[in-house]
Amino acid sequence: MSEAIFRLLLHLYPSRFRQEYADEALQLFRDRARHESGVWPSVRLWIDLLTDTAISLPREYCYTRSHVAGASAQGCLDGVPTFFVFDTVSPGRRPLLLGGLLSLITLVSFPKLMNEFGNFRPPTDLTFAPSGAYEKQREEAWRRVSQREQSVGPAQPGSSSTFDGAARQRIIKNAIASIRQHHLDRNEAQEAADALLAHERRGDDDAATSTDEFASLLTRQMREATGSNELVLLYTKNDIPERTPGPEPPLPAAYRDDMQRLNCTFERVEILPHKIGYLKLNAFPDTSVCRPTATAAMAKLNDADALIFDLRDNRGGFPSMVSLLAAYLFDHPEYMYCPLENTTAESWTRSPVPGNKLADKPVYILTSSRTISAAEQFSYNLKMLKRGTLVGETTAGGGHAANLHDIGDHFYVGTIEVNAINPYGKSDWNDTGIEPDFKVKAPDALNAALGLIDKRLHVEQSHSLTTP
Amino acid sequence: MPKQKLNPLPSAAFQILLALVGEDLHGYGIMRNVAEHTEDRMRLGPGTLYNSIRTLLEEKLIEEVESPRESVKNERRRYYHLTLAGRKLVRCEAERLAGLLRVARSKNVLRDYV
Repeated sequence: MSEAIFRLLLHLYPSRFRQEYADEALQLFRDRARHESGVWPSVRLWIDLLTDTAISLPREYCYTRSHVAGASAQGCLDGVPTFFVFDTVSPGRRPLLLGGLLSLITLVSFPKLMNEFGNFRPPTDLTFAPSGAYEKQREEAWRRVSQREQSVGPAQPGSSSTFDGAARQRIIKNAIASIRQHHLDRNEAQEAADALLAHERRGDDDAATSTDEFASLLTRQMREATGSNELVLLYTKNDIPERTPGPEPPLPAAYRDDMQRLNCTFERVEILPHKIGYLKLNAFPDTSVCRPTATAAMAKLNDADALIFDLRDNRGGFPSMVSLLAAYLFDHPEYMYCPLENTTAESWTRSPVPGNKLADKPVYILTSSRTISAAEQFSYNLKMLKRGTLVGETTAGGGHAANLHDIGDHFYVGTIEVNAINPYGKSDWNDTGIEPDFKVKAPDALNAALGLIDKRLHVEQSHSLTTP
Repeated sequence: MPKQKLNPLPSAAFQILLALVGEDLHGYGIMRNVAEHTEDRMRLGPGTLYNSIRTLLEEKLIEEVESPRESVKNERRRYYHLTLAGRKLVRCEAERLAGLLRVARSKNVLRDYV
């Protein structure tokens, strides 16, 4: 048994050493084992062997390496990478196969592990909102079309499939019927229908030779005619299920679990030096799940002299959370424009919030080109109300969602069916994004905002000192 | 490379050379001899022993010889014999150590019985 262990130990040595001295070493071991019987001598023998192995192994490998390097040096070409191995014998097929397999497994599992543990940012698919909210409409329509399907109309001009004149006529006819039936703005629906017919009569549509180009062209025609970008025609080879009206589906359990795990995406809630409240929020989660977290966060920031909402990694969520957080920033109910919801009593914030001291404190919002959806709603409203200063990059411009209607031939018409009143004009941030008040690179936004706050608080302080 | 290894002469290599003065020995014999000379303070393990032996062989300070005893000729053991160069080296090293001993004595850092 002990000899077998010693044989294994010998395998740690380079093959050059084993070839020359393995038998001798084994003989020495046998001799010692025979002469040094008993418990203590055996223990001492193994202590000796292990110590000797630990000391002599590096020396052996250094010796082997110097010989291998010396022998190979003459065969090296200038500038050509050369690999040396410790062993003088080439590895067999099995170790090479095993090594290759292990490398492959490591290569595949490393990015996965990094995704799992190395990145705290909440996943972008956190927003499984019920219908009526941003993501239900947006994610179910746009994402299904633009992510899962690869052959989408306006965004994918690569398709080369062609179709005849009868099919074109049918698509235009069905698109007009669908727009007239579903699009809430009747005037826009009429303008779009007229434009489509006029272009068809003039033969403008002949320029499009594929279904994708055709969808893009008609979308452009409708948008030019209406002056808004709410209507869209899409082409996809796959079916998109129609959204059925009815009660809101319950939130998936996975959403609740995610929110619990991610502290409702309230990544940081801190009072920075000079009493600056800092809130890093990576989504606007559903209030039925995250209201306690949100109220606790705002309570923690209640004594701040200025507030920073860091929305640089915010991927959107629910308008109800937008209203809930905005309520702390006003001393009276304020209208929160949301392009995806009918304007109702819920569109106003429930201000003032009892015990809240933040209603008159300066607010700074950090944005990036990733800031999207509900985060844009929050930023847009506070900017238009002159209640918040935006610092960072232009936002992603992903506010609106359309309901998609199947008009046959794998074409879908997207229409807007909610009556949302935008008090600031017809267009908002859809497609264009929101321009910040102070444009800086996203990574520099926090420092820039801190500088602005410092300046502002300093000015206010000197003003209060000079005022009798 | 081996010359650098033996300059200064490592303790293990010196002990091996010293063990081979007067008789040819195999690996285990060398190990036992060294252990006896050093009152069991140095027990050479296989790694250190054969690494040193290889270096001494390359430097031609020792050489392999047949078994000195007829009865063990069939054994698969290698015996080692001290060469003339090895003998000179071991004497030089012993003299160097003796010189050191004299210095130590003159400075009264040794006890009386040494």
